[in-house]
Amino acid sequence: MARTTMAERLYRLLLRCYPGEFRDDYEREMLLAFRDRLSDDRKVGMAAVLRLWWQLLVDSIVRAPGEHLDVLRQDVRYALRSLRRAPVFAVTAIATLALGVGANTAIFSVVHAVALRPLPYANADRLVRIWERNDGLNVESFAVSVPNYVSWRERLRTMEVAAWLGGSVTLRSTGDPIRVRSVNIGTAYFGMVGAKPVVGRTFLASDEAPGAERVAVIRDSLWRSYFGSDPRVVGTPVTIAGQTHTIVGVILSSSVPLEAEFYMPLQIDLARQDRSNHIASAIGLLKPGVSFEQGKQEIEAIARQLETEFPASNKGWGITMQTVYDAIVPVETRRALFVILGAVGCVLLIACANVANLMLARAAARKREIALRMAIGAARRRLVRQVLTEGLVLALLGGGVGILIAYWSVPLMKQWLPSSLPRAEDVAVSAPVLLFSLAVCLLTGLAFAVLPALASSGSGLIDSLKEGARGSSAGGTRSRQVLAAAQVALATILLVGAALLVQSVRHLQRVELGFDPANITTAMMGLGADRSGKPGAAWDFYQQLLSRIASSPGIEAAALSSGAPFGGGNTGMPINAVGDALIGSNSLQTDWRMVSPDYFRAMRIPLLRGRYFSASNGSEDKGKLIVAAEMAKRIWGDADPIGRQIKAGPNGVFTIVGVVGNVRNLDLSLSPAPTMYLPTSQYLWPNMTVIVRAPEGAQAPAVMRSALRGLDPQLALFNVRQMEELVVQSAAQPRLNASLVGMFAALAALLSAVGIYGVLAYLVSQRTQEIGIRMALGAGRPAVLRLFLARGMWLAGCGLLAGIAGSLGAARWVGSMLFEIRARDPWTIAASVAAVAAVAVIASYIPARRATRVNPLAALRAE
Amino acid sequence: MARDLDKEIDALLPLAPAFFHILIALGDKDRHGYSIMQDVAERTGGQVRMSPGTLYGSIKRMLADGLIEELTSGAAGADERRRFYKTTKFGRRVAAAEADRLSALLTQARESGLVPRRS
Repeated sequence: MARTTMAERLYRLLLRCYPGEFRDDYEREMLLAFRDRLSDDRKVGMAAVLRLWWQLLVDSIVRAPGEHLDVLRQDVRYALRSLRRAPVFAVTAIATLALGVGANTAIFSVVHAVALRPLPYANADRLVRIWERNDGLNVESFAVSVPNYVSWRERLRTMEVAAWLGGSVTLRSTGDPIRVRSVNIGTAYFGMVGAKPVVGRTFLASDEAPGAERVAVIRDSLWRSYFGSDPRVVGTPVTIAGQTHTIVGVILSSSVPLEAEFYMPLQIDLARQDRSNHIASAIGLLKPGVSFEQGKQEIEAIARQLETEFPASNKGWGITMQTVYDAIVPVETRRALFVILGAVGCVLLIACANVANLMLARAAARKREIALRMAIGAARRRLVRQVLTEGLVLALLGGGVGILIAYWSVPLMKQWLPSSLPRAEDVAVSAPVLLFSLAVCLLTGLAFAVLPALASSGSGLIDSLKEGARGSSAGGTRSRQVLAAAQVALATILLVGAALLVQSVRHLQRVELGFDPANITTAMMGLGADRSGKPGAAWDFYQQLLSRIASSPGIEAAALSSGAPFGGGNTGMPINAVGDALIGSNSLQTDWRMVSPDYFRAMRIPLLRGRYFSASNGSEDKGKLIVAAEMAKRIWGDADPIGRQIKAGPNGVFTIVGVVGNVRNLDLSLSPAPTMYLPTSQYLWPNMTVIVRAPEGAQAPAVMRSALRGLDPQLALFNVRQMEELVVQSAAQPRLNASLVGMFAALAALLSAVGIYGVLAYLVSQRTQEIGIRMALGAGRPAVLRLFLARGMWLAGCGLLAGIAGSLGAARWVGSMLFEIRARDPWTIAASVAAVAAVAVIASYIPARRATRVNPLAALRAE
Repeated sequence: MARDLDKEIDALLPLAPAFFHILIALGDKDRHGYSIMQDVAERTGGQVRMSPGTLYGSIKRMLADGLIEELTSGAAGADERRRFYKTTKFGRRVAAAEADRLSALLTQARESGLVPRRS
């Protein structure tokens, strides 16, 4: 007998695998059948008993889940049927959720592509970017000097390093000459990033030996566009600046972080390199098992050795090292994306609260139906599960529509994304994004169904039946009010954030640029080796070109510079004052540009003192400089700088002949740096930027091209841009932040207005009788209006207070995205609170007014 | 109306073997669960031994499909504690339709020479 009990206990345990309803119906019967069968099988023998247990085991593994599915199918069918019976509720809930899930999917597709996806390079977790830094000059990450790089490479034990020099070259081969971005690169580079050749090979260490045959690797994009994907491209000779290189391989774009089309080995002749000349970029590959910190400590130690060995060039120079991931996707970008994701997450929470509210109202209305079903024997857990299933069905339907919305809107959104956003081209509703959305759907389904599920089964059965159709428990009403207040709080936080970001963008747009970007066209060009080798010849050529362009109809001015403002990239060097100066013997880190005499007129940068560079052959500008007001002020304060001198390292001593206005060259949010201008009659780069001011800007590129063709048909213009576009682009990220968060805030305000409206409208409908009695007893309509308005305002007030607290808390994350406004700006918070309060008043007023229209007689008769 | 019933019967064919066994067991008399299991085992010479899970899973679905019904009070002389089941009219018609289907199938198998003809 004891053994039977033991077996029965075991079978009871197996029966636990079945759903509760099934057990309620059949557990007793199954136990009886089991007992009979077991006693029969025992008479047959051990084999029969074993066979029975095997069957029971299979039952609980195969049959039991089937029963669960069956129950789920029934619940889903029930949920769909009950949703079909309440179409207004269903459509409202699905639309609300679709907006929430759609917006979240779209934003997450950006966050995933930009900030979460691993880098596509082999060893990406061990790759680091290396810069030189100089705290004394206040430069945190600066280009690398080639001799320093060679020293690192010789001494480093914990990592491999490779450096490169970027530029652009005119390539001549089978087709027309073409301008391409090029790099001279350490041969170890391709191996370090695990780059894969599509055709041929990458570089060998021997390719960078002095005197080695000149070879090149091209990117697959160039291979397709210029060489027509011809696999016989290996061995093809190409001419670069008069020198012939042989193509040895084609590299797969996605496997190389560097976006150049043409790669040549970096051949280093140390005798011709200057250790103080910081011109190269560098990456490192940590050896397996070496931590980031170990690598950093070693290269910093080497930098200190070099400081003692070469004090003249290396004094004060250290190392900045970053993971390649941080270098490609900067921390600020990631933070901004996560703030936006947080904002859109708030929208989803508000949507969930709204749907929860709708379901609570429904549960209250169905209280009697539910109580009835419980009275005739429906299990409480079954009712809870049905409400949860209804929530999940709603969430999946809403989520499905939301994902469709995202699917259509993501390609549109991609066009808005700022070009500076890394990896934005890969933004898509991909498999991980879909998984995220699915998880969001399931979580939201549970989140908004839990309260109604508990409410629907929580209160007493008899009470509900007695309460009749009115029956809403105080608990349900309270949770609905808390939800409405929470919505108001979230909407307030979002609106404060949006208002801050919008003001920040407006400040950026009002920033004094220091020049007039309207009607300016810029384009880059380079001269062949024949001209750029001889400075005099090059300047003669440019002078002819500029005068041809300037004399064309419709052109106001034409000038030349080593780099246009907002054109990307910067050049700087430390300088020292000669004689008395505020900075004493300290160095001042100074940006510099090479400019032609007409540069300031073309850009409309005001001349404050002294003169421009001379328009003649430039002999009087030898050793002369024009400085921006900021630089003069830092070095000499208010004293007249004209005629004073500075020393620019090995480049010698320069005399200041003019002072011009300050210019923001790099970024709207950075205040103008000390800047000096060198005359192009003395200094030219292989690539220069031509700047043209033309009231009819559209003509400028054609005029520039025809002037260039007239002088030398072999030369090409590239990177033709409108200056206003460049300026606009530099504010693209803040503008996107502001418009996205603004959009979400508007959506949040709307949804929370719907929330308050829903709660109050429900309260009014619940209290129709009470209102009728009050009015029958003499309460005027204004008193009734006040009653409900006060309730609405009380809800909103609680939400607003929580919202203010939340905004103050969120300041930490938003602060870094703001320009010239504090995250806790009291005016912004006050204005946003007022806006949400106004929305809340309107949302409360409509149902409150409806309360005043209650007909006392009709209300009382309804009982 | 009759056409609707035919459609309902067709929708249930081919019948799951467990359903058919249960209908056969309930053909001659009303039975409780274990009695059905025993009858099936006897008639198949011990080849088919239903587990409680298979039996009651099938009973649940057959009740929902209207093939069988539960007796409100135990059959004459039966154990009071147990639930008894009987076939419905609809259940008998479905069983007959399934038997026809199987017999037609058998005839076809014989005619094609796949299965030897009965002597």
